Amino acid sequence: MDIKLKNIDKYYEKKILDDINLELKGIGVLALIGPSGSGKSTLLRLIAGLESFERGSIELNGVELSEGNLTEFRKSVGFVFQDHNLFSHLTVIENICLVLEKVHKRDSIEARAEVEKLLDKFGLIEHKDKYPHQISGGQSQRVSIVRALAIKPSIILLDEPTSSLDPVLTYEVLVAIKKLIDQDKNVVIVTHEIGFAKEIADYILYLEDGKIVEHGDRDMLKNPQTYELRGFLQKVLTFSAVD
Amino acid sequence: MKNYRKHLNFIFAILLYVAFFYFVITRVGDRLDFSSYIDYRMLLFKGWLRTIAVSILGVLLSLIVGLVLYFMQQIKRFPFLHSLAEIHKTIIFGTPLIVIAIVAYYFIGTAFNINSRMFIGVMTLGLYIGAYIADIYKGAIESIHINQWQTAKMFGFTKYQTYRYIIFPQVLKSILPPLAGQFALTIKGSALLSYMALNEFLNEVNVVQAISYDVMEGFIILSIGYWLITVPLIVAVRRFENKLHVRVVK
Repeated sequence: MDIKLKNIDKYYEKKILDDINLELKGIGVLALIGPSGSGKSTLLRLIAGLESFERGSIELNGVELSEGNLTEFRKSVGFVFQDHNLFSHLTVIENICLVLEKVHKRDSIEARAEVEKLLDKFGLIEHKDKYPHQISGGQSQRVSIVRALAIKPSIILLDEPTSSLDPVLTYEVLVAIKKLIDQDKNVVIVTHEIGFAKEIADYILYLEDGKIVEHGDRDMLKNPQTYELRGFLQKVLTFSAVD
Repeated sequence: MKNYRKHLNFIFAILLYVAFFYFVITRVGDRLDFSSYIDYRMLLFKGWLRTIAVSILGVLLSLIVGLVLYFMQQIKRFPFLHSLAEIHKTIIFGTPLIVIAIVAYYFIGTAFNINSRMFIGVMTLGLYIGAYIADIYKGAIESIHINQWQTAKMFGFTKYQTYRYIIFPQVLKSILPPLAGQFALTIKGSALLSYMALNEFLNEVNVVQAISYDVMEGFIILSIGYWLITVPLIVAVRRFENKLHVRVVK
């Protein structure tokens, strides 16, 4: 995928993103890392077209996001939220099929068969008729990944998909994300799992206080150039078993 | 055993109320005489049915009015519609139904040459209860977590699809109990339509009271008549709430 971010500013009550500039070509997996409040989730939501921004422009695969093409653009993007965000009144399979049938106008029998295949692939087939409250947080997040994948998106965005899970559930979700990437999907992921980012990412952005402090390929994490990233990695990895 | 004691306590409570009203009736009235009411039973029955009909139609209309008022207040592009809805609700909340019923029939109805009391009665109830139902919708829709809206937006659902497939099915569960409560209020409120000379239950009982002078008997029949409609409704709503609660706990 190609991403071009130009002079992006975003304010809530204070400045959240400050003059973000980046141009990447032919990247498969982009990871956004940084401390809480650094603006990485906000940047992801901007890329998804979920939020507006005060200044700048975003170009994905050569298309600039604008009011006019936002709805169509969103249909081509799979998004995995922090808290899975499954529709609570629908079963696992209905959660996925509703999007395919109503938004993508797919035939319901055909869509259902396809979704069942995907659920099977992600080890969720026995839960297909359960409601979100009847399955674990990890399973819900994996359903959310399947939902993002089912629409055959050109790009999948994941916003801290494991942040609310315990280590065992985190592991099963990371395995699911790995499966997703193995299918040659373009992925942008916001994560606190530095070890995982190091393993899967083609390119990594380190943000702090709304700015891109350092960016580069995965080796950047082995040999950080800035004081900020060094400090961050020290804190994150001190109590972690990840290399 | 526990259930048996519960039922026994309930029967004692009922008996206490019966004893209280029996005391009142025997102290105030003469011997009860329902013969006139038996003679006019068909008139009363028709009035009772008319009360049910006007209530059902009023509630159905109020569901639509409530929805329209809710959306009028949501459309930011047309602040005029927002103001119209807000003024309607303020007038309704601040005016007794009896005043609205009289104004609707004797002034508005006359001004527009509308003679059907049933029509004006249903319109009055619909517009009146609708103002309250708009707030029930608002509360229920706002209780839907922002995540659900955002997910719908992200996956490309249109506004209509978001309401139709995601928001309303979730809202429905939470609005049914308060809506049924409003239905009971509507049934009771319909008695005030007797002020526009609509031949509903209260009005027909008043007629028999005027003929027979058996006033207390009329009020006993009125109370029982309204209870026959409202008590099953209240019991049904409680059962439904319990069922919902059980499902949530599960």
